[in-house]
Amino acid sequence: MEAEQDKYPQHFNQAPRRRAEIIKPPNTLKAKVGSGGISEAILNKAQALLENNIVDFMPLAEMYLQNLMRAIETAQTNSDKLDTETLIAGMIYPAVQLKANGGMFHYPLVTTMADRLIQYLEVIVEADMDALEIVLAFHTTIRAVIMGRIIGTGGRHGQELLAALNDACMRYFERYPYNHSSYRLDYTEEF
Amino acid sequence: MAYQMHKISVLVVEDNLPMLEITKSLLLTFGVGHVITAQNGEIGYKRFCETNPDIVIADWMMRPVDGISLTRMIRTDHRSPNPYVPVILMTGFSEKRRVFQARDAGVTEFLVKPFNARDLYKRLVQVIERPRQFVKAEDFFGPDRRRRSRGPYDGPMRRETDFSNPLSREALMAQQEEAQKNLARIREQSGLKKGDKFELNINPNDIDMV
Repeated sequence: MEAEQDKYPQHFNQAPRRRAEIIKPPNTLKAKVGSGGISEAILNKAQALLENNIVDFMPLAEMYLQNLMRAIETAQTNSDKLDTETLIAGMIYPAVQLKANGGMFHYPLVTTMADRLIQYLEVIVEADMDALEIVLAFHTTIRAVIMGRIIGTGGRHGQELLAALNDACMRYFERYPYNHSSYRLDYTEEF
Repeated sequence: MAYQMHKISVLVVEDNLPMLEITKSLLLTFGVGHVITAQNGEIGYKRFCETNPDIVIADWMMRPVDGISLTRMIRTDHRSPNPYVPVILMTGFSEKRRVFQARDAGVTEFLVKPFNARDLYKRLVQVIERPRQFVKAEDFFGPDRRRRSRGPYDGPMRRETDFSNPLSREALMAQQEEAQKNLARIREQSGLKKGDKFELNINPNDIDMV
């Protein structure tokens, strides 16, 4: 009987245990800084420094927009040579830079638009010509915001531009629902 | 009493020069003693090995070595002076799968850009006050990817310290006493002894509850 037990595992229906070692490194950081945090005055000073930075975002934005345009052109001309993931990643990276840096340098509208572009690029399956037309529309609109130096949220005009881009995305997925990665019916909630 | 930030050093790795300068200025305003900078992951790792900073703040997208590869080098390279150093990854990505990707590379905290001064401060507080334990497995080395839960305890409260009001403990004791008496009555009516098992086919209306 004992031999039978040895032969077969007792907990055959359990997931095999992974051998992992847990290490608790000494908290030298806490030992150095102590406790108490940073005062509100210092945090406000840091925030003011951030808000009053005088960095000109235009040259940076131009560089990212050029990268985005190059990626669009690559997708338009090399769709048969490169895999879709590479083509889409090429467009996502400059879009992420626009999103990340717009808000840091007084262009939150650029951040919002680029964020919508990333959401769109993260869900499309194929970078077909119509899908690329949408990316081009984002490029043109973001460029107009930068060239027009529309800082802040852009007011009513900014919201209208954003709504127009959202509508373009919605129309695209209504026409090509199968090009949405999850092929969901509720895609309208995202755009 | 406030944080003695002047005692620590922070390495900032960012390829966007204005962003690098802003992050450095914020850290200096917080009182950080020494801010080391680098403009890509390759130089960043070199600086890391030379200076052994207390915290690393890195951007994700850099060339030739990005923030994720830098984190992997810090965690696993044999030359790394401190594989346990907290790494805060700055990025414009906020999608869940991207966060998981960063987490699986061994990143400690994630800072989504654009951020404000308080966002950066919160991440610093997080690595100071809630350091992660590390996991060393066959296919992973890095901070524990599970957050320790600090949710409310939903088990029975029995300790005196569990109750801010002593009367609530008394109420619980009385309730438990009452339950014991009811159980004893059920046994008595069924003719069972204390150790006997009994089936619950008794109509509650037949029992004279306390």
